[in-house]
Amino acid sequence: MLSILGGLLALSVGAGFIGALSGLGGGVFIVPALVIVAHLPMYVAVGASLISVVATSAGASVAFVRDGWTNLHIAMVLECATVTGAVIGAYLAGTIPDWVLELLFALMMLQSAYFSFRKKGDDLLPKGSPIAERLHLGGELPNPEGQPIRYGVTNLAGGGALMVVAGAMSGMLGVGAGAVKVMAMDYLMHVPLKVSSATSNFMIGVTAGAGALVFLARGDVSTVIAAPVALGVTIGALAGSRILPYADVQWLRLGFVSILLLIAVEMGWRALSGI
Amino acid sequence: MARAERYLSMQAQDEDRILRVWTPVILRTVLTAAGIVLIAGLAAISTVPGEYVQRFRAVQDNARVKDYGTFSDLVVRAWHGNPRSIMTLGLMILTLVPLARVAFCLMFFIKTRNLAFVLFTAYVLAGLIIGVMLGRIG
Repeated sequence: MLSILGGLLALSVGAGFIGALSGLGGGVFIVPALVIVAHLPMYVAVGASLISVVATSAGASVAFVRDGWTNLHIAMVLECATVTGAVIGAYLAGTIPDWVLELLFALMMLQSAYFSFRKKGDDLLPKGSPIAERLHLGGELPNPEGQPIRYGVTNLAGGGALMVVAGAMSGMLGVGAGAVKVMAMDYLMHVPLKVSSATSNFMIGVTAGAGALVFLARGDVSTVIAAPVALGVTIGALAGSRILPYADVQWLRLGFVSILLLIAVEMGWRALSGI
Repeated sequence: MARAERYLSMQAQDEDRILRVWTPVILRTVLTAAGIVLIAGLAAISTVPGEYVQRFRAVQDNARVKDYGTFSDLVVRAWHGNPRSIMTLGLMILTLVPLARVAFCLMFFIKTRNLAFVLFTAYVLAGLIIGVMLGRIG
């Protein structure tokens, strides 16, 4: 029992750590790990993955919110878009073939990776768009000397539209779509990468929480798998959230691009093998 | 006009400060509660020799086992020390973390009369409930 539990805990701590740092939630790593390493069925892995996204989101957000990395106002405005997308996705689920969605998702990830790779650093705006300023969506983050730098938020419409797409992906494919959320904030809305990552972490818990409840009610969550995964992921996420403030943005961006490429390959493979 | 804008900006900063204090408290409290229940469940299952490994192998072999019928049934089983019911209860507590956080924000914005954010958070909460009813959000 101890070797199985120890293995599950080790996998989960790693997934929670990377999920918290990248803003992707950890589900992306848990599903392949449980299927390939632990030889578990896909639906068990997906159920545990949803639980792990909730745990990563909650665990990492304790420190991110307290230390000011999460932009709560942006999160609450954009959650409207993701929830709208998720409901549309839930309604449309089954009408569009899965392979088409997976292929679209893979192409979007490739495009995100390209844009993120081209971007060298955070291009902060001192003042945001009028609507963003009215809603007080801008914020401050400390520079390397510890002095606060103000950033404005722009292109709320473009970011919101991409969040609807991210939500729809969640509803139709059962993925957290954290990568799309980070990309929308970082690239379209000029939110600094670390703030985008922390805010994405905060947001993904909401849709994943609702999904996890549905899975639990259906009996599609295996407790003997999900319980150690939830514990491990929480520990990993708590550790990851302590590291983020000291992480180098360039390395963080490189890691983010690598993960986007991996997801694109995985989704593309799933799509093409499902035709 | 400038005075009104300054007042609104200060109000937003105050709201932000309060949310930054209380949101982590809510998250930490519910996470700790879920963690304690999950550890209790794992401890309980380890007292039955071979039970965990047997369950793990059954899951690997694709055996679907729903651990409870109704919610009250789950609570009664957990109360009587059924390990898997205790763990299911822990997972349920965990999944309620984000929903509790949105509900808290809604109540907070109602109290501070920030109409725009009352509408945003109420919309999110309503959307989540509809999503759960449609049965496939996530």
